[in-house]
Amino acid sequence: MNVELLQHISTAITEGEDEQAEKLVNEALQAELPPVDILNQGVVAGILKTGELWKNNEYFLPDVILSADAFKAAMGLLDPALRESGISRHGKKFVIGVVEGDMHDLGKSLVIAMLTSAGFEVVDLGIDVPLSKFIDAVKEHKPAIVGMGAYMTTTMLEMNDIIAELEGQGLRNDLKVMVGGVPTSQEFADEVGADAWGKDALDAMYKAMDLVGV
Amino acid sequence: MANSTLEIAHGVLYGNGLRFGKLSPTGRVFAAMLGKHGDTIPFMGPQIHDHAMTIAKVPAYKYYFDADLLVNVQIAVERWYGFDNYTIIPDAYVYEVEALGAKMIYSDNAMPTVDTSQPLINERTDLDKVGSLDPSKGRIPVGVEAARLICEKASGPFAMGFFCSPFSLIVQAMGYPKVIRALRRDRVFAQEMFDWAENEAIFPYLKAQSEQPGVKQSSGADAWAAFPNLTPELVEEWVIPSAKRLAQRGKQELGMTVMAGLAASDYCEEDPAKFEKKIMFECWSTARKTFIMDVALSAMGRTQDWNMEWLQEFAVQYGKWGRKLPIYASLNGRFIRDSQPEEIVAKIREWIDVMGRDGRLLFFIGNVPADTPPVNIHTAVHAVHTLGKYPIVADIPSIKIKSPQFESFDTWLKDQPEADTIFKGREPGPRPKVFTN
Repeated sequence: MNVELLQHISTAITEGEDEQAEKLVNEALQAELPPVDILNQGVVAGILKTGELWKNNEYFLPDVILSADAFKAAMGLLDPALRESGISRHGKKFVIGVVEGDMHDLGKSLVIAMLTSAGFEVVDLGIDVPLSKFIDAVKEHKPAIVGMGAYMTTTMLEMNDIIAELEGQGLRNDLKVMVGGVPTSQEFADEVGADAWGKDALDAMYKAMDLVGV
Repeated sequence: MANSTLEIAHGVLYGNGLRFGKLSPTGRVFAAMLGKHGDTIPFMGPQIHDHAMTIAKVPAYKYYFDADLLVNVQIAVERWYGFDNYTIIPDAYVYEVEALGAKMIYSDNAMPTVDTSQPLINERTDLDKVGSLDPSKGRIPVGVEAARLICEKASGPFAMGFFCSPFSLIVQAMGYPKVIRALRRDRVFAQEMFDWAENEAIFPYLKAQSEQPGVKQSSGADAWAAFPNLTPELVEEWVIPSAKRLAQRGKQELGMTVMAGLAASDYCEEDPAKFEKKIMFECWSTARKTFIMDVALSAMGRTQDWNMEWLQEFAVQYGKWGRKLPIYASLNGRFIRDSQPEEIVAKIREWIDVMGRDGRLLFFIGNVPADTPPVNIHTAVHAVHTLGKYPIVADIPSIKIKSPQFESFDTWLKDQPEADTIFKGREPGPRPKVFTN
């Protein structure tokens, strides 16, 4: 029964059924299943399956969006239970934002969903984030990784200044930097001195895990 | 030969074997599109607005708010590079939603962009609140004037107004995830959104464009409908019927050719490991239904890693009367920006070898990034025109290509008709009122 319920949670998330996912997670909590099992065998299993289907050309962006919605809905219920039971995942912090002048946050939302599923504690700075806000967030949260996104070829150049400022303020040594977004590339990431380029949300998640060794 | 009709006729005749006289750039394009080939492979003007602004050193707060500056800058920069036609495209995606009251972000350095964190449309009732587009609002007058200037200054079959296609417009108004949820779960609302976009947002803009002298056609950018944002099935279900409705209404009520869905189904998968021939064929098939002309299309995708034998095979398979479809071979903008000139030449050499020998090949760049080194673009144009000379030599690697010498843009510009407008455009001026609202 329990295994079946967790399987159903996983399926609901993969299929992007947000209301169903929420309902099933609630049922599982009511049945006093361990939150960590609900997380790993239900919610995370579901979103990782979505990632695999995406990788295998069986899912496309609309499917991933709905799946990420379902993941978010499930985590909304599960997060408090996890905290209450003192469950700690690796909890590496990831500060993420879209650079100043740029408002496109679709990619960021997907990356956040994937990073959360991989156990990162994500600090979302939002969109149109000025340089100073990135710097302040790095000082405040001391993340393992800071990620910057841009959609326009004009705004992506902000990333250069942010990385230079991190270096200038001596914040770069223990910090990994990732970049992503439509106009970016591996070559651009190399040029600005980023540690990794995420070409899509799944790729960003795996590269982030590699960077922090989880 | 300044008459574009004669240039086109010359190109068509030349391309079909009557090879007399010297082809104009426009003639070269039509020789490849409607014949077999011209004297050499043409290089189409790319989407270049951000890059052109950077090259011309004009501030965004003037460039994107002044139709005369916008059009003159793009024309001058495209001519400096030596493309075979002008493709003058404003920042086509936000005019309508901006005029309808969407929250915008304005910047000294970048084009205006919609703040999708505060969407214009959240739910059904918002459609009534937002209502119809008033063509005197926002930058609609700039877009209308740009359409007039494009048709006046870049005359010919590729001169047209621009608008944002319904799917991309809805995304700008609501945000992509909400639109996807509506398409999948609330078809009635989704249809209402399309109806609103077509009739209340886009049509008034088209009407204003059609009232300008010379504006006989308008094209609707639709990059949000590219693959994998939308699957070919979703494009067939939503985007193509919508484009047909707009085209019909434009023709009936405005006497205008309206082409929505430009770049819908363009194959933009980023991961080479996921490139799949079957899916690419589906995308290319669907893209034929909305593109300006019937071509095998590549536009914004990661084409540097494509197997171009597939695109050639597609063009041959779907060609008519014993001729393959013309191929729009688009060099990826990031590839052009990030590569060394010799890497660009190698890619062009490879593509001409695969797709150019039997003619009907046109080169293009999908949205040139702002910071692209000019030498890369000059080299690309030079390489296409040199390596693409017909008949294509058997031993194409034997032709050596060096980056061409070229004058700086500013030196070249001094003697050009756009000089005064551009030099004046560089002078600091007041920010448009919207910056302080």
